[in-house]
Order: sequence, then C-alpha cells, then structure tokens
Amino acid sequence: MKEKYSVPDIKDIISKFKPIISFRVMRSLGTQRPDWEDVVNEIVTNIIVKLKKGEFRGDSSIGTFIYTITSRRIVDFIRQKNKVLKYAPEPEPFPAPYEYIEKKERVDLISEAIKKLRPKHKEVLYYYYYEELTREEIAEKLGLSPRKVTDLIIYARNALKKFI
Amino acid sequence: MKKCVFENLIDDYLLNRLSEGQKEKFEEHYFNCAFCFKEMTERAELISVVKSQGTHLFKGIYSRKEAKKSSWIEDLFAFLTPKQWATAAISAVLVVIVALGIISIRNTSTHRFFINDELVRGESITLISPVIDMKSMPSQFRWKSLGKDVEYKIYLYNHELLWSTTTKNNYITLPEDIKNLMTSGEKYSWQVKAFSPNGTLIAVSSLVQFMISSEQ
Repeated sequence: MKEKYSVPDIKDIISKFKPIISFRVMRSLGTQRPDWEDVVNEIVTNIIVKLKKGEFRGDSSIGTFIYTITSRRIVDFIRQKNKVLKYAPEPEPFPAPYEYIEKKERVDLISEAIKKLRPKHKEVLYYYYYEELTREEIAEKLGLSPRKVTDLIIYARNALKKFI
Repeated sequence: MKKCVFENLIDDYLLNRLSEGQKEKFEEHYFNCAFCFKEMTERAELISVVKSQGTHLFKGIYSRKEAKKSSWIEDLFAFLTPKQWATAAISAVLVVIVALGIISIRNTSTHRFFINDELVRGESITLISPVIDMKSMPSQFRWKSLGKDVEYKIYLYNHELLWSTTTKNNYITLPEDIKNLMTSGEKYSWQVKAFSPNGTLIAVSSLVQFMISSEQ
C-alpha cells in the first residue's frame, strides 16, 4: 500500500534531511566540485517527487529510503563524470573550514576553546586529529595505554563542548 | 540525547579509516540516527579547524616535532648504542689502516717514471757512472742491475742520438770509434732502459748529463 505524504510532512522531512544529504554529498564529491549543490537540489527534488507519488512504501525507514536515493545519485554523478567507476572515489582531503563551518565566528570559537585545553589534552588532539595517528600509535608515543588515550580524547572533546 | 553504539565509528569515518562496507553501513546509519549525525557534524567542525589551523593552535607540539625532525644527528646517534658506535669506529680505523697499507705496498712495488713527458708505471734504473763531469773520456758506463734475464738498452746523446746498443750486463764498454766522436768541453747525456725477455719495457733510468772537461 503506497503512502502519500502531504506537503507539510514533506517540508518537515526535507528540512530534517537536507543537511544530512548535503553532508553526504560534500564528503563524496568534495566541495571543490562546483556542482555539488546542484546534486543536493536534484536529490531533494527527486525525494519530493517520490514522496508525492507515494513511492515510499515503508519497507524501510524514511532515513534509509532517502539514503538510498542520495547514494544512487552520487554514484550516477560520479559515473557520468568518470565514465568507468566501480566504487565511489576516495573522499577528497578534509575540507577547509567554512566548508563545514559557515560562520567565521564558529571557527574562532572552536580555536579559542582548543587553546584553553590542558597541554596533555591538546597533545592528544594534535596527534589524533592533526597527525591522524591511531589510539595505539599515540599510546606508544606517549607511553600510555590505548584505553588512557581514548579517555583523554573523550575528555578533551567534552571539555571543548563546555567551552563552546 | 542517548548515546549510540555507532558513535565509535564517527572518527574513523571522518578520517577515512573505514572499509567500503563499513562506510556504507555507517552512512545509512547516520541518515537514521540524529545523535550520530549531530556528533559527526561537531567533530567534522573540530577536525576542520584542527587541520587548517593546527600549526598555529598546537605551536609548541608542532615546533617540538619539527625540531626533532631536523635533529638528524641525534637520530643518527640514537641508531646505535655507544658500545656499537665504539665497535664501528674501531672497525673503521682498522679498515683505513689496512687500506693505507695496501696502497703503500702498491706504491713501493710499482714505480712510475717518465718517458717523453709521459708517466709510465715501473721501476727506475739507478745510473752509477758517469753521472758527473769527467776529466777524461769515460770508457765504461755502469748502472745498478735489476737481476737476471733483463736486457738493457743504452742511449748516448749529444744534440741527438750518438750511439745505442743492448746488453744483458749492468755495464757497457764504449767502443773506440764512438769514443773518438766525443770531444772535451761538450755536454753528453745517457739513459738506460730495461726490457723483460718478451721485450716489455720494465724500467727506465733518468737522463743523466755529463761533460768532459776541456783540460783533456
């Protein structure tokens, strides 16, 4: 039995899922590609059409339904661009700020919060996120147990949340 | 907000450490999990700031690391223990001594001499007489022997080659007709070359000049 969504319902769904779709597209295509926003808009339009036609049958969650539409469009887009591609390409290097973070104030806020951290928390964050070392590698480098490194990372992140 | 079991995949996803299968599974998950998506966007912001401003934010740690990178001498010394370094140094000294010894042996066994300004490897012949100005016409030319089975060729020059002959002795008697060609007060020079039985040049003397004083 097909379930047709009303316009207000569809609006709610889109406002909830558009940031998720955008994030997924950005990570797959990279924000350097100028048409990534067009891809997001195409996906959103496609979802609206399908929901209006009642193509969402409720066999899966609405999240999985939207995820499937999003993934297929990304793969199609990459295939169109690259002709032959089995899998999606490796994600591009981590985007610069202002791509995930729209406001400069937010960047400054996070930067200031990092500066306030204790040296050992800063050091762990540096090795974990900047150097991209694993917990085991950091543990070996700092002479700690991997469990302790995990605790320090969690503590540092929680401290940042408090500062922000 | 309740925590999620997928939370521990967030960092691995953002740092591209997940396999293709794990990645797809997690991507489907965050379309359905508000907690993971919110947490992921926050960490994405954090990583983005850390990556772009890391050198500035972690100045102390970063500069320490760079300094460590540049101190390659320290790394080199850390490569071996002091005992191993001492062994390596002694071995190196021994190798140098042996090498120098070999070089010096080679140098003593193979002399070099010049023929027409060309450097030739081989022994030299020491001329004995005549090597200084003579009061009378020399009747015999003598040089140091290089052993048996050596053939010597002697050359006598004034302005040009005056006479040349070969002998297996380490001396030669000047023939009377050549003696008669030589006049007092004129400069002469002579040289000896040694050849092996197969005719190979093995040694050469220097070209020695002498003069018969005009009193004669």
